[in-house]
Amino acid sequence: MDYKEITVLVEKYWEGETTLEEEAVLRDFFSTPHPALPEALQEAAPLFGYFHREAEKVWDAPPVKVVKLSPWRHWMKYAAVIMVAVGIGYALKQHQQREQQVLVALQQQEMNDPQKALDETKKALQLLAKNLHKGTSKMQQLSYFNEATAVVEGKED
Amino acid sequence: MSLDRFLTQVVPVRQKLYRFAFRLLGNEEDAQDITQDALMKVWDMQEKMAELQNMEAWCMRITRNLALDKIKSRKYRMSDELDRAGELPATHQKSPHAVTEQNDVMEKVHVAINGLPEKYRTILQLRDIDGHSYQEIADILDIDMNDVKVNLHRARKTVREKLQNLQVYGL
Repeated sequence: MDYKEITVLVEKYWEGETTLEEEAVLRDFFSTPHPALPEALQEAAPLFGYFHREAEKVWDAPPVKVVKLSPWRHWMKYAAVIMVAVGIGYALKQHQQREQQVLVALQQQEMNDPQKALDETKKALQLLAKNLHKGTSKMQQLSYFNEATAVVEGKED
Repeated sequence: MSLDRFLTQVVPVRQKLYRFAFRLLGNEEDAQDITQDALMKVWDMQEKMAELQNMEAWCMRITRNLALDKIKSRKYRMSDELDRAGELPATHQKSPHAVTEQNDVMEKVHVAINGLPEKYRTILQLRDIDGHSYQEIADILDIDMNDVKVNLHRARKTVREKLQNLQVYGL
């Protein structure tokens, strides 16, 4: 292949219009030294020389490490699930404890408030008074009945 | 996916995956780790295998994503270019002076390509060194084929400008 054709291909290459086959031709052409290379091609020579060298480089495949897949391979997943479960359980327990504490505190607050205690005592005494009053009225009725019986029997003076 | 299918279709591409990871990460140890991680990930995602049209591209995409994650997470520093200058294969047929000169030119090209943004560099390497088609590159990088063409054109243009600035001519 003469330099003219290569020059055309190189121009196509810089414009990004070459096919894979044309690029292979270029790499192949520049893989061997050309002493009397035209100036237009001297510019591309190092790049294609580099591509050729890199493509030819022999890479040692990395050794295959045998990784034993244990059932605990995803231990972090399991640990995360356990942590979340423990977290939720702890939060619920804390919530219940807190609720109980609040209830106790409220009750204590009621007992410690003198006005409330007075009101509660008043209520209790009123209830007692009301029931006692009921009993008194019944007794009065009974005594009235006794008096009437005595009058009928002529015991009354 | 059966173990047989994994061994026949995935394991053989590990060399390609390793080369790809090495170019992205710049050192052997990390490239080996990433290749191993990629194979493990492919194995873990085996239920997806049935839908795949291009298994190799899929494996390479996984490798690239893992390598880019590693670069991001560890604020990875590419190994010193000088270190790698020593890895250039010696050509015994030529005089020591010619060899040195050629290695120097190769190193400049290497530096020019490595200085490209990751996307440009990867597309250029996949096309011009590995000889992948536009469609294969689009599958590997999970981008549109037109993007591949546009980015490849820009990458070549940038490399050309860099080499012109460095006055790298001849071989």
